[in-house]
Amino acid sequence: MEKKTVVAEKSAPAQALLESVELELLRAPALAPLSPLPLEVLVPEARQQTPAVGQRATRPDGRLHGLGQTKFIDDFYLPGMLFAKIKRAGVASARIVSIDTKEAEAMPGVVAVLTGAEIPCNSFGPSLKDQPVLADTRVFHAGDGVAAVAAVTEQIAAEAIEKIKVEYEMLTPVLDPLESLKLETPGLHAPNPNIYGHKVIKKGDIAKGFAESDHIFERTFRTQMVEHVPLEPHASVATWDANGRVTIYSTLGRITLGRSDVARTLGIPMSRVRMISTIVGGNFGGKNEITTEPVVALLSKKTGRPVKCLFTRPDEFISSTTRHPLIMDYKTGVSKEGKILARQIRLVLDGGAYCSWSETTLGKACILSAGPYNIENLYAEAFVVYTNKTMTGAMRGFGAPQVCFAYESQMDDIATALKIDPMEIRLLNAFTNGSLSPTGQTLHSVVVKETLIQAAQRFGWNGAPS
Amino acid sequence: MAKVTITVNGEARTVSVPPETTLLKLLREHLNLTGAKLGCDVGDCGACTVIVNGKSVNSCLMLASQVDGFDVLTIEGLATTDQLHPLQTAFEEKGSLQCGFCGPGVIMSAKALLDEEPDPSVERIRDALAGNLCRCTGYSKMIEAVQAVANSVNSHPSVKSA
Repeated sequence: MEKKTVVAEKSAPAQALLESVELELLRAPALAPLSPLPLEVLVPEARQQTPAVGQRATRPDGRLHGLGQTKFIDDFYLPGMLFAKIKRAGVASARIVSIDTKEAEAMPGVVAVLTGAEIPCNSFGPSLKDQPVLADTRVFHAGDGVAAVAAVTEQIAAEAIEKIKVEYEMLTPVLDPLESLKLETPGLHAPNPNIYGHKVIKKGDIAKGFAESDHIFERTFRTQMVEHVPLEPHASVATWDANGRVTIYSTLGRITLGRSDVARTLGIPMSRVRMISTIVGGNFGGKNEITTEPVVALLSKKTGRPVKCLFTRPDEFISSTTRHPLIMDYKTGVSKEGKILARQIRLVLDGGAYCSWSETTLGKACILSAGPYNIENLYAEAFVVYTNKTMTGAMRGFGAPQVCFAYESQMDDIATALKIDPMEIRLLNAFTNGSLSPTGQTLHSVVVKETLIQAAQRFGWNGAPS
Repeated sequence: MAKVTITVNGEARTVSVPPETTLLKLLREHLNLTGAKLGCDVGDCGACTVIVNGKSVNSCLMLASQVDGFDVLTIEGLATTDQLHPLQTAFEEKGSLQCGFCGPGVIMSAKALLDEEPDPSVERIRDALAGNLCRCTGYSKMIEAVQAVANSVNSHPSVKSA
């Protein structure tokens, strides 16, 4: 038992591990000694320049891309495959009175039609399960699918969805997030309130901070909705076998999450669902949740044939997730020299019709909303609300670019008003090693100032310190 | 059905297709040449770019019948079993493509440009690639790759940089 003397002086977790090793020793057949475990504490090599930085990187799949040999989902065909199209509501808010699919079903070449009422569990979502696969009783935004058709050709499927007649009882849509924020506005997803996510970050005392400030700056910043526009549209192919197992090929970036959502919506155990991710032709956060997958799976079950659904470019714009538009109220108190003494922020995220990745976006936007600056007195509050618009979700940065636009714009406002160089005001306030983040995390490897200075020198900024 | 006879990548082919078939569908679904991609289907993104009689075109905007008797070159026609086309080599070496979906279209646009103008300026390259959208790369490495090919083809040391 020589190992014991080597590791006996280790910390408590190491000791626990050692004890479990001893148990293993009791259980293991006495054929060979166990190899020594790496119980030494690993020291992270922070701020070490790795040789990879600055090197030109190539991709292992770069040659196939250039040859046109990369097989994306639309590049393969399963024998007997049918093509599906989804009919979009085209109205922002309505109650569905009836859906008449008879004429579409009678069309030569149409093999099956699917409506929301036929979906075993018509709700899913990464956090709140508030999104229907196909709207059955209520339409929450114009991009909601209301019915789907599987036909022998894409052309016939496209014509058939035009023949589906949906009768709506129109409702007044809520389009302004600030209106949705008011408690008296009726809830889109009643009885749930329109505010479906809220976060507050408090640090110090803003009243004291503003009282000590020489100048106070207030402004509202807004950003717009942005679509990811992956060059490859969302698509999936499903094929159901006679053992009751469905195989889904999909452009999803998160197949494990997709698998659980598919199992939920189809009402079958996850072990019956096989998800195969095909090569993704651009994601940017937009391919993080299921879209067509349950639809093709159910159409395949109905028809006994593989079914493919490829989003059209309009589907992509109106029906997939987008970047959250934000309304950002900033109030910042500064000293004569430009030092930030207090900052108060209110963020209102327009969540669109469904939650999707709003909770993640809300959290990240709120945490980052104060900027990379040392601020003793801070109050940041963020809300995300439902509106009858295309849903918003994950997109590169989860809310970080929006708040960056706001706090950096305000830094420029302050610099201009106080006649300070925009570079100087940032250097005065920026994080340094050991600074505390708004949520109290001690920050390491901070090189904000060094980066700013180097960048300013490289592009010849007049105010750059030499 | 419409009967279409075209020369694809040097081979004469005759296909019967429904009259609404686009050149893109003809290539992808009837001739199994899936290198040209369907991105928008309305001529905005350029993922479907192929070369028809020496000109780069959006194959989603041309009907198959319109190319009857024409010469069509697709991405599959560039490399031989022995070697890559210089553009393909340059795109690989410069890491010009990321997800790769726009790649075949971009390379075909670049090929059409270099065939017509072997020593293009950066502005001309940008102009030639203007019809090809890419959401991953930011284009600069694609432009570098096209420049590198123009330089090597012409062994022209004095070509300007971006």
